Amino acid sequence: MNAIDPFEPTEQADPLQPGSEEFMEELHVDAEQRTRSQELTTREHHLATSGNALLRADELVAGYIPGVNILNGCDFYVDDGEMVGIIGPNGAGKSTLLKALFGLVRVGSGTVILKNEDITNLRADRLVRQGLGFVPQTNNVFPSLTIEENLQMGAYLAPKQFKDRFDYVTGIFPRLGERRKQRASALSGGERQMLAMGRALMMEPSVLLLDEPSAGLSPALQDEVFVRVRDINKAGVTVIMVEQNARRCLQIVDRGYVLDQGRNAYTGTGRDLAHDPKVISLYLGTLGAERDEGTKG
Amino acid sequence: MNHTVTRIERRRWPALLLLLGVLTACFGLLAAPGNAAKEDLTGEISGVMRDAQGQPIAGVSFQVTNASGFTGSDISNRQGEWVVPIPGPGQYVVSLDPATLPAGVTLTNPERTSLTVSLLSNSKTVAFPTGAADTTRESFLDRFLQLAVDGLVFGLVIALAGVGLSMIFGTTGLTNFAHGEIVTLGALATFVFNNFIGLPFPLAVALAVVVCGLFGALNDWGLWKPLRKKGVSLIAMLVVSIGLGILLRYIYLFFFGGDTEQYASYSGQPGLALGPVDITPKVIIGSVVAILALVLTMMWLGLTRNGKASRAVSDNPALASASGINVERVINQVWIIGAALAGLSGALYSMSVGVNWLEGFQLLLLVFAGVVLGGLGTALGAIVGSLVVGVLLQISTLFLPTEMKTVGALLIMIIILLIRPQGLLGRRERVG
Repeated sequence: MNAIDPFEPTEQADPLQPGSEEFMEELHVDAEQRTRSQELTTREHHLATSGNALLRADELVAGYIPGVNILNGCDFYVDDGEMVGIIGPNGAGKSTLLKALFGLVRVGSGTVILKNEDITNLRADRLVRQGLGFVPQTNNVFPSLTIEENLQMGAYLAPKQFKDRFDYVTGIFPRLGERRKQRASALSGGERQMLAMGRALMMEPSVLLLDEPSAGLSPALQDEVFVRVRDINKAGVTVIMVEQNARRCLQIVDRGYVLDQGRNAYTGTGRDLAHDPKVISLYLGTLGAERDEGTKG
Repeated sequence: MNHTVTRIERRRWPALLLLLGVLTACFGLLAAPGNAAKEDLTGEISGVMRDAQGQPIAGVSFQVTNASGFTGSDISNRQGEWVVPIPGPGQYVVSLDPATLPAGVTLTNPERTSLTVSLLSNSKTVAFPTGAADTTRESFLDRFLQLAVDGLVFGLVIALAGVGLSMIFGTTGLTNFAHGEIVTLGALATFVFNNFIGLPFPLAVALAVVVCGLFGALNDWGLWKPLRKKGVSLIAMLVVSIGLGILLRYIYLFFFGGDTEQYASYSGQPGLALGPVDITPKVIIGSVVAILALVLTMMWLGLTRNGKASRAVSDNPALASASGINVERVINQVWIIGAALAGLSGALYSMSVGVNWLEGFQLLLLVFAGVVLGGLGTALGAIVGSLVVGVLLQISTLFLPTEMKTVGALLIMIIILLIRPQGLLGRRERVG
């Protein structure tokens, strides 16, 4: 499944949808040149704008296997209360960036800083204590535990506040409250995604990291997920979201990052990026040139 | 179980010598296959002659013959014991000379002065019951009930070891082949506390359980945690556990010796007759303790914060860590509980079979069978599977020779797994 769903309804309405193949190729070449020439300015832009960041990452180099880096000097920041989307073609390192922020992928060099504290390569359970919440893309619930127990695990570090948070989470996702005694393995894909988010919200995180929350869901459910994420953000939780569904993602985020080959290619507000021909070309380039390198995006 | 029990208790040869005997026999066969007629007396047929009151009878003459012309004989000694060395497995006729029985003692079945026995292994005990026939013990249903109760008792012993094995497998993926040695440690520690230090038996068992729990924590902390950290593969860890098991076994052999010993307390406790079932009070109390320990374990898993966390780690360690659970600490707790339960298993098992350096290892296959049968990684499954294995094992002696009982139970396990590959209580995961 690639970044752009051909049946997506917004596609026809998009005025910037390029018409011909030649146009696409031309833009693609242009985009690669721009990626190289603007490396420095992107870094400077990052340093200039990230002064008040809640969570920031500088020049991250990280990968799953020693010697094979997926991230090659990635910069990232998010301000308090902001909602940031990370998009990019398959294999660009979107999920890897998220996992590197959360200590699930070993960071070779570079730093991750939360509230002026270095949290690079800290164990995941320590990061939860520091106020980070993470929702993986797949395997994001405990299938043999009941829904209530899943949420209890979410509040593992603060069992006393379980009741309050349980009421809060089942307020956002009423279906979880109705089915609290059922095993998570009985849930559908959409319900699992809700439970996964609910579990991460149990600790009242200051930053919520979502790895492709809409993956594998029907368009109607995707919309529901995006609405919930927006609501969670409006309630004061800073959200970092990796998405394959780039257009939909850019519609709701405050700011977006476009990654390509483990580096920042572009950053800007969601609206700007959604209408930037270079960004669009990068995506079309993915469709045309099959840049999937077999790594997870 | 009673039959096995008495057989092991009465065996005079140390287990090590037996092992050596088997090995020599094997090598002998390999080296000189045509030399079978040569009389290497590697096996034995033995028994203990007692009167109806259980007192030993001395001076009874026994003769053992086989079709290829072997003859051997012995006369029971003052303990009533007699041993006839034999060339090895095969069919033998054992006969008792009724003329040598003391006055007033008759065989339960006076016609049955000679028995034909088949040996699959190198040794067998043969009993010639004396005194009036105990007709109540003859009915099929009564024997079935007795064996079912024996099986449940044995199943509880297997379950205690199996729950820990299953929990450790669930949280770490390790198939711990050294788990049987923790069982043995429980028995050895109880023996040391009870026999050498002279502590009361319940206290000795409690301390042995604590020792085993600490040993489990040490195991994880000193060996398995570092291996996990280095990313050693599960297969490699399995091989390490086999090596650790061998090491521990021979350490036990070195310090404890190859003999089977009895606890100082309650070793010769007479049985109670509850209807058709014979059972000793120590076994009843031991089984109650075992059930209590299993119920507490299930409550820990189902109701407590860390018990639930251990199930979460079994499901998905990365997600557990991302939920704020300190995965390594939970695994260490699982090791403590699993090893303590294994220790209790060994302490209780040895009340019936005596303390032996190999007992845990011999139990291990059945523990694996119980765990696999119940569904890998589920604690309740391990308990149910172990009870089924224990009962099947004993019941199968109604239809199979006692030597074959393990085979029968394992055969049934294979059949059940062919029908239910996920085990009795295992669940198939919903994918996607």
